[in-house]
Amino acid sequence: MTIDESGVAHKKEVVDKKNVVDKNASMPFEFTSADEPTTEQRPNPHAKESTNVQATVDALKARFGDAIVDVTLYANEHTVRIQKSVIAEVCRHLRDELGFTFLVDLGGADRFTEDERYEVFYNIVNVKAGKRIRLKVRVDEDELTVPTVMYIYPGANWNEREVFDMLGIRFDGHEDMRRVYLPEDFEYYPLRKEFPQLGIPGSLPLPPRSPEAGLTWDPFAAAHQGPTIKSYQEPKSADEDQE
Amino acid sequence: MKPELTQLGGDTTFRFWPRHNEALYKRLETKHSWVEKPHGDGQFQDPLENDMVLNIGPQHPATHGVLRCAVKLDGEIIEKCVLDVGYLHRGIEKLAEGKTYQEFMPYTDRMDYLAPYATNVAWCLAVEKLANIEVPERAQWIRTMLMELSRISAHLLWLGVGLMDAGAVSVFLWAFQYREDIYKIFDEVAGARFTVSHSRIGGIASDLSPAAIALIRDFVDRFPDVVHGWQKLLNRNRIWIDRNVGIGVVSADDVIGMGMTGPVLRGSGVEYDIRRFEPYLKYDEVDFIIPIREDGDCLARYFVRVEEMLESVKIIKQCLDKLPEGPIRADNAKQAYPSKDEVYYSMEGMIHDFMYTSEGVTPPKGVEAYHAIEAPKGELGFYLQSDGTGNPWRCRMKSPSYSNLQGLEKMMEGAAMGDMVVLIGTVDPVMGEADK
Repeated sequence: MTIDESGVAHKKEVVDKKNVVDKNASMPFEFTSADEPTTEQRPNPHAKESTNVQATVDALKARFGDAIVDVTLYANEHTVRIQKSVIAEVCRHLRDELGFTFLVDLGGADRFTEDERYEVFYNIVNVKAGKRIRLKVRVDEDELTVPTVMYIYPGANWNEREVFDMLGIRFDGHEDMRRVYLPEDFEYYPLRKEFPQLGIPGSLPLPPRSPEAGLTWDPFAAAHQGPTIKSYQEPKSADEDQE
Repeated sequence: MKPELTQLGGDTTFRFWPRHNEALYKRLETKHSWVEKPHGDGQFQDPLENDMVLNIGPQHPATHGVLRCAVKLDGEIIEKCVLDVGYLHRGIEKLAEGKTYQEFMPYTDRMDYLAPYATNVAWCLAVEKLANIEVPERAQWIRTMLMELSRISAHLLWLGVGLMDAGAVSVFLWAFQYREDIYKIFDEVAGARFTVSHSRIGGIASDLSPAAIALIRDFVDRFPDVVHGWQKLLNRNRIWIDRNVGIGVVSADDVIGMGMTGPVLRGSGVEYDIRRFEPYLKYDEVDFIIPIREDGDCLARYFVRVEEMLESVKIIKQCLDKLPEGPIRADNAKQAYPSKDEVYYSMEGMIHDFMYTSEGVTPPKGVEAYHAIEAPKGELGFYLQSDGTGNPWRCRMKSPSYSNLQGLEKMMEGAAMGDMVVLIGTVDPVMGEADK
């Protein structure tokens, strides 16, 4: 649209353009890995009431005092970090006194730090009161043991075995410390951060790739030893016949 | 590399994982039982005078996948049972650490492969909670609806296969007719019948077409009558009741102690359903009941599951009625994929699409969140730890089948060998999810 060179009209046009840009600028371009992650806390639309357990945290603090190392709250979820040595007592107290009877989940994580490298987390539910608490203990690399809770929550049995299988943390007093997923013959702990995602060739014998072939010790035999061994004969191509 | 055949001193026959099997049998054995081949002097041992150890699976059709049950039998009674899982272990949790949050989504299809949509949504909800992403209303309603469809689909498989385990083949074929209808719906909705991968972080991939809505409406109109028909056939069926009543009884305390979830928990009279316990999506806005039985046997779990299917139909009908208009994905390039219109027609849109694929969501550094849903098998949750990058630092999956299998080990003890198949059917394990 052509208009006379009047300052007012010109200004107006600029403002219009800006408006148009604003409408489409719903996706701000601020997307690089160098960005500091934002920590601003808008109300989390997925936060639940059940995971806010301030009363239980207070009760635990009153009962165990210094053994409660740290309490954090994110997305309305309380995480209570406690000393490793008292985990069984805390669990027993939670179950018997505070009604947290249902161990939903137990798992481990590798923090990959100098000290207190591993952590084990417990997700415990109070079915009647509708509350969920997360406990956490940290484990040092020099002493890879945690007291078991399988006599308090029998359901912890397989979960503790899984933590042992994946991270190599042993549970003191556990009656059946076998690996769960991987065979006993496997010598590594795959969820540790130094374990390569592609696995370690030669760590386990693998079934033959075809009826005629032998065992293989390399999960990527085809990639390492040339073409894939096939269980059937492919018809020769015309080029090969000429040769 | 040549395999060495000298793994157990002097024994030259190669066996896979000898130490593993030894530990397993050690857990099972007493001095009165024998394993596979006679020990020691090679003398014949009379199975009538000794306990016998029997391996069922991993390649047994009744184990619903690759579950291995090593049982010690006294005559026909199972004295002790040790389950061996892990034959489908793919290291999903490890794989997640090398993927962006969105990249990992197709892997969740392969976990609970009988209800892939529910696992998709579970993953997306966990990431959305971790990264504080709001999902538009319409997407939430559609997710609710399709999750209930996947619940029906999973329970249909349980019903068909469970009845086939008990000897009734025809119900298997009937149930699969309706599973096929649900596949058709998912085909129309997502373009894939089985591994749908339709949910996205911050919303869903595509809106429902009118054809899809018509298909769903048609299905929910027809389906209740079918279930009522099955109820007429089974609820008072002498054979079905005799196979199920009083089998695999677990008390409410035991079931909570063992950490079992889902219909097994509710079949024992525990009111625990994540849809009520921690309502997610739109479950607090729809009207439905949670079937509960107190007997704690296989028949109670049958009633719970069949009634759940009818409740799911009720939820889907309400979702169809209440489905609002609006966007289907969060309108923020840092939180969700931009729409294809933006990608194809604007430079920024394409850049955002690229960036979302390579980088994706970046939750704050050092935070953690757990979000659970009520999957057909029970409480399915993801616990995520973030290190501020686009990949999860630790992804932990709480899989309901795994917890339920642990209880199955106890349930089997004292049961008759012939009931083993029914017992596996009644906890309804999916090995893809139990083995991670």
